[in-house]
Amino acid sequence: MNMRREQLAIDPEKCTGCRRCMIACAMKHHGRIDPDLSRVNIIGLESQDLNVPVICMACDTAPCIKVCPMNARIRQANGTVTTNTDVCIGCRACVYICPVGSPRINPYTGRTMTCDMCEGETEPWCVAACRQEKALTLCTQGSVSQRAARQAAGKTKQFHTGGCV
Amino acid sequence: MKLVIIGNGIAGNQVAFDVRTKNPDAQIVILSAEDVPEYDPCSLPYFLGGECQQTDVFRKKPGDYAAQRIDLRYDAKAVSIDPDKKRVAIHTGEQIGYDKLVLAHGGDLFIPPIPGIDTPGVFSCKQLSETRKLAAHNGTRAVVIGSGAIGIEAAEALKRKGYEVYVIELMDWILPSLFDEPTAKRLENELTGYGIGVFTHEKVLEIKGAGQVTAVVTDRRTIDCDTVVVATGVVPGTALAQTAGIETGRGIQVNRQMQTSIPDIYACGDCVETIDACTGEIAMFQLKHNAIEQAQVAARHMLGEPVRYLGAYAFARAHFFDTHAATFGKTQRALDCVFGDKRIVEREDKNNYLRVVMLDNRIVGGQAIGTFADELGLLIGAMWRKDDFLDIAAKMRTLPKGGAVHAWPMVRLGHLLGM
Repeated sequence: MNMRREQLAIDPEKCTGCRRCMIACAMKHHGRIDPDLSRVNIIGLESQDLNVPVICMACDTAPCIKVCPMNARIRQANGTVTTNTDVCIGCRACVYICPVGSPRINPYTGRTMTCDMCEGETEPWCVAACRQEKALTLCTQGSVSQRAARQAAGKTKQFHTGGCV
Repeated sequence: MKLVIIGNGIAGNQVAFDVRTKNPDAQIVILSAEDVPEYDPCSLPYFLGGECQQTDVFRKKPGDYAAQRIDLRYDAKAVSIDPDKKRVAIHTGEQIGYDKLVLAHGGDLFIPPIPGIDTPGVFSCKQLSETRKLAAHNGTRAVVIGSGAIGIEAAEALKRKGYEVYVIELMDWILPSLFDEPTAKRLENELTGYGIGVFTHEKVLEIKGAGQVTAVVTDRRTIDCDTVVVATGVVPGTALAQTAGIETGRGIQVNRQMQTSIPDIYACGDCVETIDACTGEIAMFQLKHNAIEQAQVAARHMLGEPVRYLGAYAFARAHFFDTHAATFGKTQRALDCVFGDKRIVEREDKNNYLRVVMLDNRIVGGQAIGTFADELGLLIGAMWRKDDFLDIAAKMRTLPKGGAVHAWPMVRLGHLLGM
């Protein structure tokens, strides 16, 4: 299994809900300014005045890989898990099993899409778009934010390990 | 080590390739009852409906086995096991010795004892060979007997192919083991809206036709048809295990390391009886993710790693045309024979519907249609963590407005539950 060397860390406290990351993501992957085509999804929790960017966490034992009936969810060399849109039939099994509800559905094709960390770029476009607020940051091994991300992820550890210890 | 795997399905292949990645020296033999490389039974209805090519249903190519030095034997049906001499006999009479044996031959389609069930024109949709025959069949009116996940998917696929489709279900509502009545009734309405006839609480008495199916007779009506699809469920294959004297219940009994009652014989996949990861009771969830996890545990234990299987969990989705529904855990009906404080939380918004089943204030299951299903994973997580619903409700009430930044995962869950 390819372990991720870097990961996107989110800080909902800093997120203003401006959706620049969503536009950057849609521009990078589809060349269009259309938040519906973004792989980042900002969820607004109105009662708490919070905006939470939801991104694929590329779980180590990703449940979406196991439940996809077409085997379209594939682990990439950089550790991310992406949908092979050639075989995806848009059944949304990956959306329903996802512990954070991150896969988004392309409204034009009905297929799912998740974060691929902008493979080949120096940094993901959403991080570049959020450089001022720093709600989305790239954390590498040993960084403080990664430890925070791990701590938060620890709460759902049992789920992520699937059926094995 | 000579590893013999009976069954070339999801579980069998997972064991073979997992063992190979960690042990380059092991001799691995897979005995396949069919004549094709590993394919995914979950994708067969989509191949039938023309949503994907036949090549897309395969998980492996023939060359993948040779590249990993795995000896895949086609058309080799294991008939008996001799655990004392550590040998497997196949139908040609050949004896194959083993050091470790894995039973991963899965389940057999349950064929109900209906008169005329073997008439030409009666198909199933569980195996590739059968699905190919159904795909090549030219018909106009089809009756699907049984409305489990396979039945509903087959009905949708046939509708896409231009058939006039009728679904017959013996129980009171469609998808009876996956959904509760209110959810299933909505799905039934959707199905009817797409032009698929649904008849629940009906029993098929006879399949009529001499040489070719002409009609299906139920206790209420006669439906003229030229195609019948039997989708009445899958029963675990235990006959082979019984020849070796392995303990069986509803399926092959295994421990937390996927070992059967006889040393050096493992079992995983659809043929085993496991426990529910959340409730600890005996359960049979013949689903792909469970097969993969069980196979991973078996492979790791075989290689000497300390590993323990946590149990199986139910997760299924029903998807036809533009309707999307998902379910996980237990249904309300499955809880009927369990003591405890039961509670149902329902949310409704136009065509979207959410139903969460709680036992003693802990989420044990849920069903959703439409947009509510998109966040169903949060509830699955809550089920695994055994979150107390009353605690969440109390905290949601006392959260300071705008000041509970770090509680956002709980706030999100609370929003989904309508708190």
